[in-house]
Amino acid sequence: MATMDAISVSITDGPLGEPPARPDKGACGAWVVFEGVVRGDEGGGPIVALRYTAYEPMAQNQLAELGESVRAEFGVDCLMVEHSRGLVPVGACSFRLSIASGHRKEALAAMDAFIDRMKKDVPIWKEPVRG
Amino acid sequence: MRIEIRIFGAEARAAGADALAVDLDGPATCGSLREAMRERSPALAPALGWARFAVNGRYADDETEIGETDEVALIGLVGGG
Repeated sequence: MATMDAISVSITDGPLGEPPARPDKGACGAWVVFEGVVRGDEGGGPIVALRYTAYEPMAQNQLAELGESVRAEFGVDCLMVEHSRGLVPVGACSFRLSIASGHRKEALAAMDAFIDRMKKDVPIWKEPVRG
Repeated sequence: MRIEIRIFGAEARAAGADALAVDLDGPATCGSLREAMRERSPALAPALGWARFAVNGRYADDETEIGETDEVALIGLVGGG
């Protein structure tokens, strides 16, 4: 277990690495991790990878603000966002959201709300790369 | 004044560029920029009907005033995750 900021955001080149350690929070009974993985088909045909573009630093700021907003709304303790930029091959992880909270219900609700809002507002784009 | 607009994703592919420069007369807003971009780049016209602008890293409405030193971006349909 490790200590963790209430909100953490990172956008890094290529596929994401190993998931973060579970935070050292005695009051947290739930640790929910979602990983978005590149599918082998996109837009009606097979692909070999997705290429992500982020408008930075707006994308980082939007992710952090969204994290703060969701944390306050759902009462979760910690929220860690990781997103790829650049090329991510099929089968690799391009997005990870990790949430710690007292109970699972608010963590799962926060997870869903964060991802829905991210896909609407955060300036990150993906483009299929075909073989 | 000349405004440089950054463009991303499907809009960049439609425009064939990741940036566009537009000359505007007098006080400019995101709304007047939207109209000028329609004339400057017809390929972007469909997206300009609904896409948002960001000014200095924040979403801005059409009434927001802009100047030459502002960083302006056209934000079309995003697709993170």
